[in-house]
Amino acid sequence: MAKPKVASDWLCGCAGCHMSFLDIDERIVKLIELVDLRSTPVTDLKHPDASGVDVGILEGGINNTANEEVAKLMRKRSKILIALGDCAVFGGVPAMRNFFTIEESLQRAYIDTESTDSEGQIPSSPELAKMTRVRAIHEVVPVDIYIPGCPPDADIIFYALSELAQGRMPNLTEEKIMWN
Amino acid sequence: MVTVTIDDKKIEVPEGTTVLNAARKAGIEIPTLCDHPQLQPYGGCRLCLVEVEGARTLQPSCTMPVSDNMVVHTENEKIRESRKFVLSMIFSERNHFCPYCQVSGGDCELQNAAYDEGMTHWPLQPNWQPYPVDASHPFIIIEHNRCILCRRCVRACGELVGNFTLGIEERGANSKLMADLGTPLGESTCIGCGTCVQVCPTGAMIDRWSAYQGKETEVESHKTTCVGCSVGCSLDVLTRDNRLVRIEGDWEGTTNQGLLCEIGRFTPMGEERNRVLTPMVRKDGGLKAATWDEAYAVIADKLGSVSEGNKQIASFISTRLPIESMYFFKQIFKDNLKAKTATIVNGYLKGSRNLVGEYGMATSLDDVKHADCAVVIGEDITKDHQVVSFFVKRNLPAGTKLITVSKEKDGLDNFAHVSIKNVKLADAIKQLASDLKALEIMKASQNLVFIFGGHAAECEECTKAMLDLAKQFSAKLLNTYDGANGKTAQLFSLVSTDDFSKIDAAYVALGDETVSQAFTQTLEKVPFVVVQSSYISSLTANADVVLPAHTWLEQNGHYMNMEGKLSEAKASLSAPESSACNADILKNIAAKLGLNISADWQAALQ
Amino acid sequence: MTQKITIEPVTRIEGHAKITINIKDDGSVEHAYLHINEFRGFEKFCEGRMVFEMPLITPRICGICPVSHHLASAKAADAALGVEPPRPASLLRELMHMGQIIQSHGMHFFELAGPDLLLGFDADPAIRNVVGIIQSNPTLALQAVNLRKFGQEIIKTTGGRKIHPNFAVPGGVNKALTVEERDDILSKLDENIATIKAGLEIFKGWAAQNVGQINEFAVFSSGYMGLVTPENSLELYDGKIRMVDKTGSQLELFPASNYLENIAEHVEDWSYLKFPYYRKMGWPAGVYRVGPLGRLNTCEKIDTPMAQEEFIQYRKMNDGKPIENTLHFHYARLIETLFAAEKVRTLLEDADILSKDILNTHHNYQGEGIGVIEAPRGTLFHHYWVKKNGQIEKLNLIVATGNNNWAMCEAVDSVAKRYVKGPDVTEGMLNRVEAAVRAHDPCLSCSTHAVGQMPMVVDVRDLQGNLLNTIKRG
Repeated sequence: MAKPKVASDWLCGCAGCHMSFLDIDERIVKLIELVDLRSTPVTDLKHPDASGVDVGILEGGINNTANEEVAKLMRKRSKILIALGDCAVFGGVPAMRNFFTIEESLQRAYIDTESTDSEGQIPSSPELAKMTRVRAIHEVVPVDIYIPGCPPDADIIFYALSELAQGRMPNLTEEKIMWN
Repeated sequence: MVTVTIDDKKIEVPEGTTVLNAARKAGIEIPTLCDHPQLQPYGGCRLCLVEVEGARTLQPSCTMPVSDNMVVHTENEKIRESRKFVLSMIFSERNHFCPYCQVSGGDCELQNAAYDEGMTHWPLQPNWQPYPVDASHPFIIIEHNRCILCRRCVRACGELVGNFTLGIEERGANSKLMADLGTPLGESTCIGCGTCVQVCPTGAMIDRWSAYQGKETEVESHKTTCVGCSVGCSLDVLTRDNRLVRIEGDWEGTTNQGLLCEIGRFTPMGEERNRVLTPMVRKDGGLKAATWDEAYAVIADKLGSVSEGNKQIASFISTRLPIESMYFFKQIFKDNLKAKTATIVNGYLKGSRNLVGEYGMATSLDDVKHADCAVVIGEDITKDHQVVSFFVKRNLPAGTKLITVSKEKDGLDNFAHVSIKNVKLADAIKQLASDLKALEIMKASQNLVFIFGGHAAECEECTKAMLDLAKQFSAKLLNTYDGANGKTAQLFSLVSTDDFSKIDAAYVALGDETVSQAFTQTLEKVPFVVVQSSYISSLTANADVVLPAHTWLEQNGHYMNMEGKLSEAKASLSAPESSACNADILKNIAAKLGLNISADWQAALQ
Repeated sequence: MTQKITIEPVTRIEGHAKITINIKDDGSVEHAYLHINEFRGFEKFCEGRMVFEMPLITPRICGICPVSHHLASAKAADAALGVEPPRPASLLRELMHMGQIIQSHGMHFFELAGPDLLLGFDADPAIRNVVGIIQSNPTLALQAVNLRKFGQEIIKTTGGRKIHPNFAVPGGVNKALTVEERDDILSKLDENIATIKAGLEIFKGWAAQNVGQINEFAVFSSGYMGLVTPENSLELYDGKIRMVDKTGSQLELFPASNYLENIAEHVEDWSYLKFPYYRKMGWPAGVYRVGPLGRLNTCEKIDTPMAQEEFIQYRKMNDGKPIENTLHFHYARLIETLFAAEKVRTLLEDADILSKDILNTHHNYQGEGIGVIEAPRGTLFHHYWVKKNGQIEKLNLIVATGNNNWAMCEAVDSVAKRYVKGPDVTEGMLNRVEAAVRAHDPCLSCSTHAVGQMPMVVDVRDLQGNLLNTIKRG
């Protein structure tokens, strides 16, 4: 039987969850014996296989149109979708932007900040994604497994992935749940 | 007694017991949030819902009284779904950022409740409506985003403290915690006792200093006694790496049952003074560092010669020092050196006798807690001995009457049913004896308590008037005494005089107090002054010998509160190596003076 | 008619970036742009928070270097509240910072940039990653994993966890170091120094085989900036900020509090990442580089012996003048990692490192405070305005990688022009363009104080937007 394919991506987060994944340290050797790591931000494959992957992992919430596209694509191509980390699970720290209007945030960052020079402007090139409200992944696509944490401990991530690698759904209870 | 079956366990409990408490008696813990053992059940959070056979819907176990032959189930699929739903609703109502909240990761009851239910996410998202942070208060910060409207703080502010500052404005989804009628907390009638902070289950109410200093599992807990006044509240002092993190009231303390005032809870957090780091002796015109032996030798020499030459020594002791220190002090200065003695209370000199103490009347704080009428004479207990005022104020809504008798306006006047003022206290007491309304109240009372302190206890005329009245109405008397060991000082007759003219030498067992300018000036003309102190001050700067002493947090010792109850203080921090225990310093001085003194203070207090 | 190639996302960097390349009729590159495609808004949504929360909120800007933000934030809070940490607390904060440098630099060299060097720019993308290294050289891979782990464990020992730790508070830190903890770190130091040295040998070996590439790949002039000691030695935690010009002559030496007089930020319409530059020379003449390449051009020596020996050899490459080759970021990065490891020993052997005098609570409210630190990727500034009641009134952040924004854009443009020839653009060509970005080890989450992603698809379109060709990775 072919090894399960795993793809991941990061959206409106800080990469901390993927760094926590790397904190499994030498267990990564064991893990890649069990799974086939496909597209991730730390590998050079850019998108989840068109033929689909078994497990798709998304870190970070959704805060612009580009994130929406990536989330939808990952959902479409994954049998099981994991929301990894507090940002993906509920929006996380970036969701504090929802307390203000997007215009207020852009105005502060690109015009009003004290170090920005007098030619400050809000970037508007069509190459750039459009900002939206910050949302949890499950507000945009259905999620199968939630792994909260900021970031979740490496042991929890390793447990979840090794369960999935062996064909089981991870059961996150007690010390395997953390929101901080 | 009624019989009730909970999760197939059959038990008998008194009538009126709630299902929640009955379950606890059966060893079953039902999850709760708004419930608190010290507060009346509220039934607001709905986390404690259980199944009661025969009832149409799930019932809140915290408010529901058991009935005979009731059958209760606390765990099944329906109940678990209900709990998850309740928690989901709570999380979606406000903005809970667990990633960086300081109670996150163990100290948050809301988060722990969600972990217990196995929640890995919130099915309902918040709509991210922002709530404010109220940082107007010097000690307490309210983070409305984290409030779950459990009302523990509102109930504590009313039921336990009797201040009724906190309340909830608006209704439904617009409900919001407020102080008074919507004032920022720092401008409100809040008295800064911090009970709200201690009962808050989330990070909604926090203090300014202990943020991120350490979670409950990372700090050490030390049970000790507060030395802020003669109530002697039981404390839980939290430390980490020999550093004070936070002071909490010990819920198990029999005197205060978890309550503290701002002086006990918050004042020690803002410590800015500098420690005395070494013994010092004045020579060649200035204070120079010296060894302990050198310092003791100078003291023995100078004090010995003063007493032999029939000159006058004055000695002062802080009432924040333990009985052990006081007993050594008494034997050295009062008994042997025939010194004039006085105590230091809150930095001020306190001389003269306590007359009522000599009459030996005292009652307990329990009587205050159950009084149906309290008459407060001669002191403002909202400034000093604040926890006593809590015991009085919190019973007012139930019908307890309050009469205040004092020289000037005080913090209880707004709560009082009768308020009598006169610049001459003795006259005020006489007015009380003729005030019709007050007389009516006192006559109707069955548990009448007179709480008095300050001037009322020192002036013969006041005391006589008060005692007559007390006898007439069968009132119990509670003298608040001044200072943590104020009663001990009275019993040791250390409060003997306030005439300090013509003094040849002075010894000040200051401990960790800072004295007033007036007191410092009193000693300026004295030729030889020894100061035993934790902190540097103008007093130590003018002294001839300075001895570095432990602070209240660094020493073990005993205290006798206003009721005559003994309690033990245990060190929470290790002192700097160069400083010494206050009692040891006095013991060493006694030895150097060749005095034979006893350590048996228990016998001396009998 | 020109074509436009889009590389989206750029992988093996932290954050979200997109590269567009405009190709002229003759197939040569007209211009290449590096678009940083995300924005979060920390500079707005932190308003109203309590100042003592900032060391826990701002690390969420970045999960690779949260410690940089944690410490810079505490330093800004120290300044705003007028409270200086006791010496032991500063030593402990610096220890945590060295742990971070080791883990971040180590991970970047071996796991992010390493695959290009060890497996080749043109290697099959399916294996050109950390997994490929594990499979082709498991011993080295394990050493690399342990090096990162060593750095992470220093962070965990001090701050309780590896990512988003809780350690620095205004006025100091909240936990002292025990004897056991100190000895445990010391016992693992030598084996990790050996790994760093192995990395240096790998790079030098690769460099010797690829001299041409090193001299052609994004080599250009700029100013340079970094923290220095009073003797102009490399400094990563404290010190003053030094700016030098392209010849290495000093332009400025200033304390963090004067940063606004010297640094301004320029905005382009096509990127959410701003472009810091040296105010007095204006935009774009005043552009400068930070991070390892920038710092080793700004300092004149390194205070630890092994790193100093490497530094002397490194600077010889251009006769003592600044090193301008983008690919030497990797070389400089390893020298810094060696310095950090040696510094760990110095700190742990300091008599004050075990002290419990770690918090100063005497505040003298100033109202405004600026904290600066050298994050792995460059100079990081946190500037807070704090109200008397302790709430943040407003804040300004200039985040590490952002200082290198111009340089990355310049590198992308330069490499694209050198290596990309349309319309048959190969995957290897595009990987080189990405490698130009990668060398800077950008932390785009940081620099946009927003989150970045690095996915990548290459669409070749004409100016009307008609799709001519699609090259996909994965």
